[in-house]
Amino acid sequence: MEDYKYLFKVVLIGEAGVGKTCLVRRFTQGLFPPGQGATIGVDFMIKTVEINGEKIKIWDTAGQERFRSITQSYYHSANALILVYDVCSQLSFDSLPHWIHEIEKYANTKVLSYLVGNKIDQINRREIPEHIGKQFAKRYEMNFMETSAKEAENVDTLFLDIAMELTKLARQQELDTDKSPTFSAGTTTVVSNCSSCFRF
Amino acid sequence: MTGTDFPPTGIDFLPTEIDFPPTRIDFLSTGIDFPPTGIDFPPTGIDFPPTISVGGKSIPIVSQGCYFNNTINDDLDSLMENQSLLESKMSGLHKILPSLQILETDSKQLHGMVSFTSTLAENVSSKVRQLDLAKSRVTSAITRVEDVLDLKFCTDGVQTALQNEDYEKAASHVHRFRSLDENVLRMTTETDEGSTLDTSFRLLHEAEEKLRMIVSSKFDAAVHSGDLASIERFFKIFPLIGLHEEGLTKFGKFLSSQLSESSYKTLVLADNINYNDKQANVIYAETSTQLFEAIAKVVEIRQPLVETYYGHGRLFTLMKILQTECDRQSRKIIEKFRHKRDFDRVVQQVQQDSVFHRPNATEKFDPKVLDVLLSEMVLLNTRTELYLRFFRRRAVADIEASKLEEDKKKESVSIVDKFISNCDLSRLMQEIIGSYIMLEEHFMREMVLKAVAMDSTESSSQTSSMVDDTFYVVKKCTRRALSSSSVDGVCAMLNLACTVLEQDFREVLMSRVRKGFPYGFDLSQAYTMVQTSIQQGKIQSSDTEKEKTVFLVSLNNAEASCEYCKALKSSLEDEVRKLFLKCTEQSKAKLQTCLGDLGNVASRFKEVVDFGFSQLSSGAIKPRLKPLVDIFLSTSHNISEEDFTNYEANDPWVQNFIVQIDTMLANFKSTLSSGNYDTFVNHTTSEVTSQMEKAVMKTSFNRLGGLQFDKELRALVGYLSSVTTWTIRDKFARLTQMATILNLEKVNEILDYWGPNSGPLTWRLTPSEVRNVLSLRKSETEGIQNQDKTETKANKQKPPPHEKKRTPDMRVRPGTQEE
Repeated sequence: MEDYKYLFKVVLIGEAGVGKTCLVRRFTQGLFPPGQGATIGVDFMIKTVEINGEKIKIWDTAGQERFRSITQSYYHSANALILVYDVCSQLSFDSLPHWIHEIEKYANTKVLSYLVGNKIDQINRREIPEHIGKQFAKRYEMNFMETSAKEAENVDTLFLDIAMELTKLARQQELDTDKSPTFSAGTTTVVSNCSSCFRF
Repeated sequence: MTGTDFPPTGIDFLPTEIDFPPTRIDFLSTGIDFPPTGIDFPPTGIDFPPTISVGGKSIPIVSQGCYFNNTINDDLDSLMENQSLLESKMSGLHKILPSLQILETDSKQLHGMVSFTSTLAENVSSKVRQLDLAKSRVTSAITRVEDVLDLKFCTDGVQTALQNEDYEKAASHVHRFRSLDENVLRMTTETDEGSTLDTSFRLLHEAEEKLRMIVSSKFDAAVHSGDLASIERFFKIFPLIGLHEEGLTKFGKFLSSQLSESSYKTLVLADNINYNDKQANVIYAETSTQLFEAIAKVVEIRQPLVETYYGHGRLFTLMKILQTECDRQSRKIIEKFRHKRDFDRVVQQVQQDSVFHRPNATEKFDPKVLDVLLSEMVLLNTRTELYLRFFRRRAVADIEASKLEEDKKKESVSIVDKFISNCDLSRLMQEIIGSYIMLEEHFMREMVLKAVAMDSTESSSQTSSMVDDTFYVVKKCTRRALSSSSVDGVCAMLNLACTVLEQDFREVLMSRVRKGFPYGFDLSQAYTMVQTSIQQGKIQSSDTEKEKTVFLVSLNNAEASCEYCKALKSSLEDEVRKLFLKCTEQSKAKLQTCLGDLGNVASRFKEVVDFGFSQLSSGAIKPRLKPLVDIFLSTSHNISEEDFTNYEANDPWVQNFIVQIDTMLANFKSTLSSGNYDTFVNHTTSEVTSQMEKAVMKTSFNRLGGLQFDKELRALVGYLSSVTTWTIRDKFARLTQMATILNLEKVNEILDYWGPNSGPLTWRLTPSEVRNVLSLRKSETEGIQNQDKTETKANKQKPPPHEKKRTPDMRVRPGTQEE
């Protein structure tokens, strides 16, 4: 578990049956298991992303109401949240404001949030056009993507995008902490003082 | 014998073979012919002599002829030597000839015999095979006959058994009949006899039907009358007449009704329980436990029965039916629990509280009530998990023991798993755990906020009450969650504990530390006041005093929190290891990750401590040391012999400096926790060294001044080493190196220490710093320019003067770094 530079927590949320588990399976194992049962509580997987050797820890949560309080406990420490809806289900789209309310309530303010419309392989059953989803994401300042776990469309792109974005943020944060000496360890401050004093 | 006919032809054959060796021998003789041609050569050589006679040079030619002669003789000799060898070989071959002939005949004979034997064996075995076939036909014929006889016997037996109400016997007859292959039997009989067989079959089918009906109705009747013996009796008959499923279903229903009855009774008892009863607080958990135990008992008792009469792999069918009843009864119990404990109102209220954040809501319920309720919920889940584990273990063991193929077994096990995770009881418990997490979080947060609000500082302790209280609450809640044995529940509570510690608790500490340590007036007085105020257990009127106390206590709190957090993590890790020993790898990894987050919280507390120290450093240490170091600056280090001795008696700076630092440290020692005190000393030391370095660079030294400085430095290092537990010399390395440079007899002695001569000494000063320090030496200012050049040169080329050279000087020199 030590061979990585960054470890990010990504949490998938959304109504039951929108395909959260399938997205995770597709990304971590390259599988699309048909007839996937409902997730109980939370599932969790770790995957090393190839680009910079980051690891992302993916928490796949249950969509059903009775697991809500378990799911909510994961929001706070998440680096990124993926809110999933089903493009074939108006119902799953309509519940998005409720989920966004939850994010606002429990998650860190700095959390990276993505809106994902899944199941785009089912062209004939589509109920939510892409531009509606995009519009919605824009209104709530979320990143937007449409995916198909079944056809492996955009799935890797989604997770890699998140990994890159998070790496960027983490590097930015490292720079920030270096700049503000008040937050760094006391000894470091003193040492830097010394060196600056002796730079004649 | 046919074998004897062979030899003549064999003998005919041989001569041709024997012809062969002679040709070989011919070849050899031609070989012998060869030398003569060789011998022919010399004569032509001998033809030369006429020319020889011409001059006196005849000798070489004659010797040449002799030479040829000799070689020919040698060749002949060697060839003659071979002759005996060849002859002996020839005679050997002649001897072998007759035995070859015999070999030939013998092998032919053997061949004949082998092939004869093989045909014989073939003949015998084919007969045996025929016999075997005949035998198996006979046995199958016998079985058929037996089957037919059995059939007749069964037909008669069934009738009589049915008449005598001996259903076991009738069933065993039917079972026997069912094991016969009806079609085969029909085929093997002749048509005229077929009629009786047909009637037999018809009769038996009728009897089977009849028996099924009778057993069914009798079983129902037995259930109705509660006749346990007959129920078991008919239960055993079902598999014999091929009604496995029906038998298990009927039996399961009967057992379910029994369970429902007993469960109803316990629930009524639970309803009427006295409030003083020990179990009153957890009575619904107890009631459901009783239900689970009853089911376990039923399974325990009936499992051998099912295994014996129904075979392995059927237990799950029965357990499924029992589980349906269990679901129904559990729901009843949970409903009662919700009703009696006013559960829904509590949940609703907590939800509202969390939405509206009413810190002082009047209708807030007693945490004690919540505490009791939480314990019962946890117990409910623990018992359920235990029961479901039992259920799975039994069902899977039964499947494993069955004769199914591996694939089928796996499939069956996954069906069992799916059944368990989707059963109503699991669902109910998931709901309970969901509410539990919400309530527990509320409880934990409320209690932590209360601990923060009721924060008080005891004179005897360096931390305030809120640290102990908060961690007590967090530990209590997380441990309670652990006892629920729900992996997801534990993970969620660990997450929430981290959130509460980080958000609600750490923020309080951080905000207090962020205010900083006030400074700006007589500090030593302030410290004593802080001390007395803490000792008296109340806070003095002065705001600054209060702030100081708050700051220092918060710093201690943060440090203690960091330690507590680590301790909590490791103690929870131990418990998790013990409690969740048997859960899946996935669950273990989940728990491990959530526990890991608790470790991150510890480092967040460490951040508060670090931040606090940077505040303290700028608020207390720096301003306190500044005037003291200024005295050093104002003390001349450009002194005469007289001054030096005078300083010996009346110390100009260092003694006072040490006394002042000592007072400062002593003041903080009582108010800071031991860990923080160490950090404080560490910070002070760093500050001392950094300020001193600056000061040294602003002072000029002559030879005696350097010596004086060295003395001062030794005193300082000696003092600081005495107050710390770790080695301080490392921090002073740069200063001691400066002192060394200032104490050099001559400037160019530096070369004995620099570059490759540094030996075990690692220079902490950069070349330019060394140069700067050298320039502080007053008496040698004129030599500096030159020295500077040599020094730069020395740096570049690193000339290697002998290291040992410097040793004699060491005694007088103060540089102690080489230790």
